[in-house]
Amino acid sequence: MEQILNLFAANDSNVIITLLLSTLAYSSPLILGALAGLFSERSGVINIGLEGKMLAAACATAFIGQASGSPAIGLAAGIITASLLALLHWVLTQVYQIDHIISGMGINALALGGTSLIAKTYLTIADKDMPTFPVWFYYGAAWVAATLVWFFLKSTKPGLHLFAVGNDPDKSRQMGLKPLKIRFHALLTTGLLTGLAGALIATNAGKFSEDMTSGRGYIALAALILGGWKPWPTLAAAVAFGFFGSLQLLLQGQNASIPGEFWQSLPYLITLVALAGMVGKNRAPAGLGQP
Amino acid sequence: MKFLGWKQIILALAGFGLIIGALIVAKAVPSEALSQVIEKALTRPAGWRNIIKEATPLLLLGCSVFLALKVGLFNIGADGQFVMGACGAVIVALNVSGPATIPLSILAGVLGGALWALPVGLIKAYRGGHEVITTIMLNNIAGYFTFYLVSGPLKDPTSQQPSTASIPATVQLAHIYQDKAFTINSSIIFAIICVFALWWYLKKTVGGYEISATGENANVARFAGINVNQLIVRTMSASGAIAGLAGALQVLAFEHRFYGHFSPGYGFDALGVALLAGGNPLAILASGTLFGTIAESTSVLSRTGVPKGLSYILLGVLVIVFAAYRYRKEAQRGTDS
Repeated sequence: MEQILNLFAANDSNVIITLLLSTLAYSSPLILGALAGLFSERSGVINIGLEGKMLAAACATAFIGQASGSPAIGLAAGIITASLLALLHWVLTQVYQIDHIISGMGINALALGGTSLIAKTYLTIADKDMPTFPVWFYYGAAWVAATLVWFFLKSTKPGLHLFAVGNDPDKSRQMGLKPLKIRFHALLTTGLLTGLAGALIATNAGKFSEDMTSGRGYIALAALILGGWKPWPTLAAAVAFGFFGSLQLLLQGQNASIPGEFWQSLPYLITLVALAGMVGKNRAPAGLGQP
Repeated sequence: MKFLGWKQIILALAGFGLIIGALIVAKAVPSEALSQVIEKALTRPAGWRNIIKEATPLLLLGCSVFLALKVGLFNIGADGQFVMGACGAVIVALNVSGPATIPLSILAGVLGGALWALPVGLIKAYRGGHEVITTIMLNNIAGYFTFYLVSGPLKDPTSQQPSTASIPATVQLAHIYQDKAFTINSSIIFAIICVFALWWYLKKTVGGYEISATGENANVARFAGINVNQLIVRTMSASGAIAGLAGALQVLAFEHRFYGHFSPGYGFDALGVALLAGGNPLAILASGTLFGTIAESTSVLSRTGVPKGLSYILLGVLVIVFAAYRYRKEAQRGTDS
């Protein structure tokens, strides 16, 4: 992303294009992450483990990609890693009935520890060039995913089932739905999308570095909440966060009067204010966290 | 009900396997790693000193999370409250002189933590916003805000890093025991008193009973005449105050300054300490010491080349396995649909 910025820094009339490109780069992982969270939470599984899944996927994509020399194998490894963690979340919350928050935090800790261990151990692999798909592939995937998720939830039978299970698991159980099975599929999708998000983060940077998601899983979660757990508003929130993020990067070089930390904390501030301002209007799926 | 089901045993074994696997990935021989830990961390006075040092904030933060958990709230935000408390304490310690600096500085830390937790309680009680979400947001805001402070207004001009100046020696908390490498700082007394005070408050007072009743079933508590909303705000602020106290003590006793990224991820450790304590506040003494020991053990291992990431894996496994044990009733209820 910095390369893009440097490229256009010389030419002031192109600042808008820079901003747009950088917004795209910044918001696409957020869109993918937020949609991943949407799938999980719409099915009734609270997911604060997006950060860990994205981090693990970034690590797997970078290291397996570097070791194998193939971008496809790298991406596949990223998606599989994120899916395995998502399924661990399913096992822990659905089979073991552990509180969803604890499971999510535990998975984040495992991902943070595991990726740091790998990054510090396999230093020779990390020096190799990372084969990557063009970033446009991921940007496209983010927007296509948003469209698909919107269509799936609104117009298909499994989508409505997912909705029902997330809103009232007991009633949907009486209607003959199987919440466990539906959540299994929902979390597999979460794994796929966080896998893509993590792979994109690694692709943008060209290599893996420790804790490289740096809270973007939580910003994705914020976008999901701000978007009221609906696909298009969630996407809009993610794009807005991406825009502010790139604005901050753009302003960083020019000694701006507003400190960069303000822009960095803006997504969190906005979400907090939105939560404080929602008068008696809790738009979260009603069955969130229920067995 | 069985004490342990096969499900829990499988999970514990898988967790154990993961830890061994992690050691092997890090190219360490598990048995050698263990003997290293025993030799350097568990049987040396310097090791004991570090364990006590690590355990001090963990005991307090464990109390903080435990209290919130009792009223039914996950205080993931202990991290942010800790940082704000530390920052508040350092501002007072650097700018106020006189005999009352230490108490004032501690008070600033307590207030900083309480104020940082106040919006969490308010949004939860009156807007229905989930406390985990608000605390995650506030943690990040606290991180950026304090980083801005220490790289700008509060920065020590002589320092290369984003850090404040060191506080004067007169406002540093003294050691109560010193024998060569083995020292005990007086801050551990605050931590132990806090655990006992929490136990007394939760088990012996009406206020504590109201907290437990609300945590068990908020609706029943409401019908019993408890002002649940107010109680949530109060308890959450108190939880933040304890976390702020931990931050203040960390500055006054150990770090003697405040810097960017002050908390090494205490929020998760604190959740682990509180969870492992189960239902009894006094058990925080044991779980806090255990987590302190793990922290010291992994830092000993990191000096022999095993990356520090191992500690997160260890804690993650510990928390997950223990949670599976704690929630075993729910798991046996049989939602086999």
